[in-house]
Amino acid sequence: MYKKENHIHELYTTPKGSVHQCDLTDKIYLTFKDSVLAFKIQDFLMFRRKVHAVDIHEMIFNLSDKYDFEVIESQQYQFSLKLTLCDIIQLRELLDGARFTIEMYSMLHEVLGDFEIA
Amino acid sequence: MKDLLRLRTSLKEEIEIILNAQCKMEAEASQKYLAMASWLDRNGFAKSAEYLYAQAEEERQHFLKIFKYITEVGGTAITPIVGEVPQEYPTFKSVFEAALQSEIAVTNAINKIVAKCREVNDYATEDFMMWYVTEQREEEKNARRALELFDLIDSESPTGKFVLDKEIAKIGEAENE
Ligand SMILES: [Fe+2]
Ligand SMILES: [Fe+2]
Repeated sequence: MYKKENHIHELYTTPKGSVHQCDLTDKIYLTFKDSVLAFKIQDFLMFRRKVHAVDIHEMIFNLSDKYDFEVIESQQYQFSLKLTLCDIIQLRELLDGARFTIEMYSMLHEVLGDFEIA
Repeated sequence: MKDLLRLRTSLKEEIEIILNAQCKMEAEASQKYLAMASWLDRNGFAKSAEYLYAQAEEERQHFLKIFKYITEVGGTAITPIVGEVPQEYPTFKSVFEAALQSEIAVTNAINKIVAKCREVNDYATEDFMMWYVTEQREEEKNARRALELFDLIDSESPTGKFVLDKEIAKIGEAENE
């Protein structure tokens, strides 16, 4: 039976946001705070690496104002996120969870060949 | 559910990261050789300077080859940031000691990539990297030969430095035959 949202798969959800995969558009959708961002898979992984590259040690210990926020932008995807230390930590958790699911499914495909997940 | 990751690339993220790191290392090697060539040139060792200018070019090619491979297999190649490289050397010989040190470090890095490829069953990248394994054997041999010449030719004799400069340059020529 055809379900309406058969093509949307949840990858990871935390109290602060969620990540979904859409099999129609081949995009990864990130919902975090007030924004929804759609990425191609490789850009999603690059985004995750960018979030991990933020020096949170500086954010904690440097008292100058410019370390209160970290801005992560993408011209291609036309977004600019102003993130606090808390945001960064929460975003990392969310992105790590999603990446784990992505890699796990990829591994399952490799081991089991084509298969359907109910 | 589609395996978007595999549809996009055959490269595992950890391999993509170490290949990008290797890009940086090759780009750095290119810059190092260029700085060495400059030092040799300004100290009168015109012939061996030419040899190292050519090495700098070669390293640039090594860099590009990996860079293009990453995108070929669907990964993201990142232009590396290369920091300061040494511009000064205490002696003629120390230039070639540094060169050998640098080549050994590259060989070790290449070996680690091959080991990692085997660990994650990435035989395509392993096959690609084997070219570098062979290349490093050659590179280390040449770098050692330069130092060997310092043992054979007394650099403090009247024409020692002049002869050494010429002989070191021949290492490169032999390679191009
Ligand atoms: Fe090289
Ligand atoms: Fe080299």
